[in-house]
Amino acid sequence: MATEARATADGPVTASEVMVTAASRELKDGEIAVVGIGLPMIACMLAKSTHAPGLTPLLEIGVADMHAVDTPAGLADPRIYYRATCWSGFLDTLGMSLHRGVVDVGFLGGLEVDRFGNSNTSLIKGPDGQTRWMNGSAGANDVASHAKRLMIILRHGKRKLPAAVSYLTSPGFPNGRSRQELGMRGGGPYRIITDMAVLGFDPTTHVAVMLSIHPGLKVQQVLDNTGFELHVPEGVPTTALPTNEELRLLREEIDPQRMFLRDKD
Amino acid sequence: MRSDSTVREEARVADKVKTIAEAVESVPDGAHIALGGFAIARNPIAFVHELIRKQKKNLIISQAVMGLDTDLLVGAGLVKKLIVGGGSLDRFGSINCVNRARDTGSVAAINSSSLSITFGYLAGALGISFIPIKSMMASEMLEVLDKEAPDYVRHGECPFTGEKYLMLRAITPDIAILHVPIADRKGNCWINGPQWENAEAAKAARRTILITEELVPTEYIQRSPERTIIPGHRVDMVVHQAYGAHPTSVFGSYDFDAQHLQLYVKHSKTPEGMKEYLDKYVFGTKDYWEYLEMVGGARMMDTIKAEAIWGY
Repeated sequence: MATEARATADGPVTASEVMVTAASRELKDGEIAVVGIGLPMIACMLAKSTHAPGLTPLLEIGVADMHAVDTPAGLADPRIYYRATCWSGFLDTLGMSLHRGVVDVGFLGGLEVDRFGNSNTSLIKGPDGQTRWMNGSAGANDVASHAKRLMIILRHGKRKLPAAVSYLTSPGFPNGRSRQELGMRGGGPYRIITDMAVLGFDPTTHVAVMLSIHPGLKVQQVLDNTGFELHVPEGVPTTALPTNEELRLLREEIDPQRMFLRDKD
Repeated sequence: MRSDSTVREEARVADKVKTIAEAVESVPDGAHIALGGFAIARNPIAFVHELIRKQKKNLIISQAVMGLDTDLLVGAGLVKKLIVGGGSLDRFGSINCVNRARDTGSVAAINSSSLSITFGYLAGALGISFIPIKSMMASEMLEVLDKEAPDYVRHGECPFTGEKYLMLRAITPDIAILHVPIADRKGNCWINGPQWENAEAAKAARRTILITEELVPTEYIQRSPERTIIPGHRVDMVVHQAYGAHPTSVFGSYDFDAQHLQLYVKHSKTPEGMKEYLDKYVFGTKDYWEYLEMVGGARMMDTIKAEAIWGY
C-alpha cells in the first residue's frame, strides 16, 4: 500500500485512511445518515468537517447530530452523546426516521458481507459447523431494511467477504432478488468500502462489482483476498488519495489515538 | 385475583419508595422482566444483584440491546427465555454468558431487531395486540422465527393497500426494571441522555420499578415537567440507590468503570470464571452497599463521577 502512496510529514498514507476517505466522499451534504460506531462514524465526521457540513448523523440509540470530542468505547458510551441536538430513543431514530423512510444513508460495519450485500452480525460458524453467537442484529437489520441506500465498511479478507454469509442478519439482495420483489421499502446495498477497494452493485443482477481499487494494489491481490467471485471491469479506476487536509483532520482531530484507523497487520 | 387497575389504584395512594430487597421480593419466579439497560449504559445492576441473591428463577427477559444486566442473570442460571434485539459490552467484549447459553441452547431465544422489540413494547403500551412492521423481512432471523415462534411473528398485509408486512405480537412484560438518574417519591422520572426503548417498555409492562440515583422532591419535578419521561402514575415502586448501575454508566451522573468491566469480561469468558465472579461480588456481599465497598467505595465513586460539562 505504502509504495505508491504519497508520503506526508507524518508518514505514508495508510490503507485505513484511503478507506475512510473514500467512504466519507460517498456522503452528501444535507443528507440524513444513521451511522454505526467505529469506522462509519469516523467517515461521517470527516465528511462533516469537509464537503458535507450539513450532514445529519443519527445514532440508533436516540442521538441526533452529535459532535463527540473524545473517542467513544461504543454506542452506549456517553462520549458519543456530546453536543447532540436531540436525545430520544429507538422509536424516534429507527422508527420515525428509518422506518418512516426519511433516512438517506444507512452506514454500518459488519462481521461478514456477501456478493449480494447480505450482512451478518449475529454469529460465526466454525469449520465443524459449530455456532458461536456474537452481537445479533440490534439496529443493523432495521438500518439495512429501511435506509434509502446502504453502505457497509469493513476490512477486506476472504472470511469477511464470503460466498455466502454464515447467518443473514441484514438483507441486501438475497439470491439477487430486487428489494421491490422482497416487499422491502429501503433501497438496499449501494457500496461496500474496504481497505482494498470500493465495490458497488450491478443494477440488474444485484451482484457486487469493483468500482475502484486502492492505490498500490493489483487486481489479483484483491481477488485473492475476496471469498466471492468479484467482477472487475476492464480499466477499473484507482481510488482517489486523501487530500492533505483530510489526512490532517483524521490524524489530528478525528482519531488522534488511531483507535479505528490502525491498519490490520 | 385483583385486576391491574386495582393494583394501580392502591399503588397510587401507598408510598412507592421501597428498599431493593422489598422490590425484589415482589418479583415472582417465572416473571417476564423488561430490563432497561443498553450495553454498558444505565443497567439496573443493584436490582439484578438482588434478583441473583434471592435466586428468582425461570425468568423471561426482554430487551432491545442486552448488556451486563442480562449477562449477569443468564450467567447466574436464572433465565429460561430471551426476547431480544442484540447485545454487547461495547469495546469491552461480548455478553459471553448469553452467547454461551445461545450456543448450547440452554436458554430459549427470540432473536429479533431493536426496532422490532421497541414496536412490540409500543403495541403493548397502546393496548393493541399486534403491530405491523417492515423490519426483518427476507432475513434469517425471520426464517428461524417462522419455524420456532409463530406466537411472536406472522406474515400479513395492509387491509387498505395490500402491502406486505410482518405482524409482531405485542410485548407485555410483567415488570419493567429501569435505572434512572432522577425520580421523586411518586415515580415521576427524568432521564439524561438518550432513552432507547425505556419509555415504551415501562408503559407496556403491567408494573414498573425504578431504581434512581437521586430521590428528589416532587416540587423539583414540577419546575420542569417537560423533562418527565415516565410519569408517576405509570410507576409502581421507586428504589433509591446511588451508583446503582455500576460498573455501567449513567449519563450526567457517572462514567462506566472500565477497570471493573475488564475484570468482569475476564471472568465471564468461562463458566468457572463466572461462578468465581458471582461468588465474590454478588453472593459474597450482603447488599449493594457492601458490593460498592468491595469495588472501590468512595474513591471509585469519585474517580468515575461525571464532569459537569461532559456528563461522563
